[in-house]
Amino acid sequence: MVEIEVPEVNYTEYSNRQLVAIPLAVLVLALAIILGWYLVTGAPANLGLAFTGGVELRIADDGGNVEERIETEFDRQPDSIRSIPADDVYVVTFRAAEEDPEGLAEELGQQADDADLTTTAVDQVSPSFAGDTARTAIFGVALAFLGMSVLVFALFRTFVPSIAVVASAFSDLVIPVAVMNLLGIQMTLGTIAALLMIIGYSVDSDILLNNSVLRRTGGFYESVSRATRTGVTMTLTSMAAMIVMAVVATVFGVDLLRNIGIILTVGLCADLMNTYLLNVSLLRWYKFEGVTR
Amino acid sequence: MLEPIKKNWRILLLVVVVAGASIALFAPQFAPETAPGENQSDAQQGITNLQYGLDLEGGTRVRAPLQGYTATGVDFAGDDPAAVERAVADELDGVQLRDVGSSFGEDEQAVEVTDPSVSEDEFRAAMDASGYEYEGIRPGVTAETRDLTQSIIEGKINEAGLSGGSVQQVQSLTGEYYMLVEVPGEDRSNVVSLLQDRGTVQIDIAYPSENGTAVEEGVLIQDDFENIGTASQRETSTISYVPVTVRNTASDGQQSPAEGFQQAVVDRGFASAYQSEADRCEYDPETGELGNSNPCLLLTVDGEVVNSFGMDPGLADSMESGSWAEQANFQLTTSEFSTAQEISINLRAGALPAELDISGEGTSSTISAAQGENYKNYSLVTGILAVFAVAGMVFLRYREPAVALPMIVTALAEVYALLGFAALVSYPIELAVIAGFIAVVGTGVDDLVIIADEVMSEGDVNSRKVFDSRFRRAFWVIGAAAATTIVAMSPLMVLSLGDLSGFAIFTILGVLIGVLITRPAYGEILRRLLTIR
Repeated sequence: MVEIEVPEVNYTEYSNRQLVAIPLAVLVLALAIILGWYLVTGAPANLGLAFTGGVELRIADDGGNVEERIETEFDRQPDSIRSIPADDVYVVTFRAAEEDPEGLAEELGQQADDADLTTTAVDQVSPSFAGDTARTAIFGVALAFLGMSVLVFALFRTFVPSIAVVASAFSDLVIPVAVMNLLGIQMTLGTIAALLMIIGYSVDSDILLNNSVLRRTGGFYESVSRATRTGVTMTLTSMAAMIVMAVVATVFGVDLLRNIGIILTVGLCADLMNTYLLNVSLLRWYKFEGVTR
Repeated sequence: MLEPIKKNWRILLLVVVVAGASIALFAPQFAPETAPGENQSDAQQGITNLQYGLDLEGGTRVRAPLQGYTATGVDFAGDDPAAVERAVADELDGVQLRDVGSSFGEDEQAVEVTDPSVSEDEFRAAMDASGYEYEGIRPGVTAETRDLTQSIIEGKINEAGLSGGSVQQVQSLTGEYYMLVEVPGEDRSNVVSLLQDRGTVQIDIAYPSENGTAVEEGVLIQDDFENIGTASQRETSTISYVPVTVRNTASDGQQSPAEGFQQAVVDRGFASAYQSEADRCEYDPETGELGNSNPCLLLTVDGEVVNSFGMDPGLADSMESGSWAEQANFQLTTSEFSTAQEISINLRAGALPAELDISGEGTSSTISAAQGENYKNYSLVTGILAVFAVAGMVFLRYREPAVALPMIVTALAEVYALLGFAALVSYPIELAVIAGFIAVVGTGVDDLVIIADEVMSEGDVNSRKVFDSRFRRAFWVIGAAAATTIVAMSPLMVLSLGDLSGFAIFTILGVLIGVLITRPAYGEILRRLLTIR
């Protein structure tokens, strides 16, 4: 039987600089990817239907080369076609370029009917509404992050430990966005929800670590290893749930749950790295050098 | 006798909450309310009292702003609002008076235009020309018009027999208001066609004049009809009609609508034109011209002529003699049954005061009932598997059923309590809410891990005092983590980001139930299991 052993890292062998280097390098890389994406595509991520506007149809596969028919039966070239294995359904997306997406939805639905393709769902988002949604989403994430930061500072009331939590939460948010770009996952409302959940989840293990080091008796390394034992269990448990959710929802084509699952899995991985490399080294610096200054 | 209750209050509280959730979920007293025209078994979906949202049940959702512009902070200068409306309407070419409204109250003094063809600049120019001072122009309509539109849309949905539909106003970050219409079990074209048109029904008279065909508009308008019947079809043809009565009451000294209509018909010479069944109306809707010298009644919806007809000689005579107005029965005939139905719905529910801009700035989505059913089953499977994954991890880590089993049971109790809450307040379960449940299991188990590790650290628990101090320490971390989750999620609760408010509401509720009820209970269970040995 497999046994879960939380690994003991021997922090004493590495200097703070060495420990910080890895998470910082990953963060810089992630930021570079997002910046590059912005420069090349004009948006920091692959924006989904909710943020660009357009029409999405779910078309049931009633046997026989549906994919080919989808390619040919519509007057417009679909921007993407994705198949969902469990359901024999194809998700076809058309970006909205023109003024009248409602008319487009009607038209596409009609063309699908004419071609004997069964549509099981139609989503239509107008471009101006999409722009509004994007602004609201950015505002929401920013507000949540700000609220979390204020709360963390209020809880610990010391600068370095608080900023360590905030910095690792920031990195936990940025890395999944970069990974989404690389994997071709679109930014949707579900991924926004997932990003907000990362803020909530990632802070848990950071708070646990800070609490253990700052508020509890015992040596630094003992406190860290105690917090690590609990924290890694927590993160791995959540990750197991999210991986299962991502895999199952991908098979079934439940996009919202799939996106939340993938983003959180990546975010929790990033959190493991940030908490136990970035946060630990900042705390160690604070404990051994920062306080005495 | 109170002592055991006091000792075990944490566990008892959990038991009470779980029992309460069971009652909310299964007791018939908490069954969903039935919508008009719906029976109990329709309203009840499945064996529980849970209500499902559109993405799990199938249906159509439309979200769109109302078209129009509003001048805010208007100084009415002591004038009657109706006079102000008229002054502004006069400055706008081709805009009817009914498309200019005003709101004159304590908190809002505004003038609005709801004709979609008027641009912001045109409205600004008209406001300037009318001479009334105002603070600014914003897109959208006044609160009064929004409320009226909301109730009329509700009426339209009910009249059209679409059971279970709902209408809400939602506000975006930029302060713009949207109408959110949800109709379960209907496909998009039915819902969109019901909402897209304002449904202004009126009767015009086309009559021959010196320079071709002239039209007297609005001899009967929407408000003039009462006792609107249901659409019916003539036995021998596709011709359909809506029986109506024209209102024959008016304030003192004024002509009633029925008398006014009667007068107009007489003035245009219907009685002399229609002497026998052979006299027909020959209005050509393509050109808008009459084919002969007979005047015609035009039935228009949103300014478009849907049917034209002449008059039965007997009816024309009774109008001539002035006796018709006393009964004032009338049939609005159409060539298609569906048009008659539409007219009946429009007349009963009323015309929308402003148009919904579905194509310009709206969104709509439709999910078929079968797809919804699939989503329901799939998300259930996904949720159960996610719980198994968590359970597996916890067993692998602790290897001790006494620690792991209560952990999983407690986490599930949390979700159960949340489901009970959803049933209690009739909150529709959507995919986003299910994602919230999974998030709750995740954070819930995290916190239980913290409690277990903290309590079991530093050797055996051999007294209640040791346990309590360790538990309190664990609780500080849990409380702090819960607070950050709540802070992170709260923006989503209020921002209008699609279904995500449901996700946020249930995550926050789950965290609260967890911190206040289930986690203390888990601590208590753990204490008993660990200290008894």
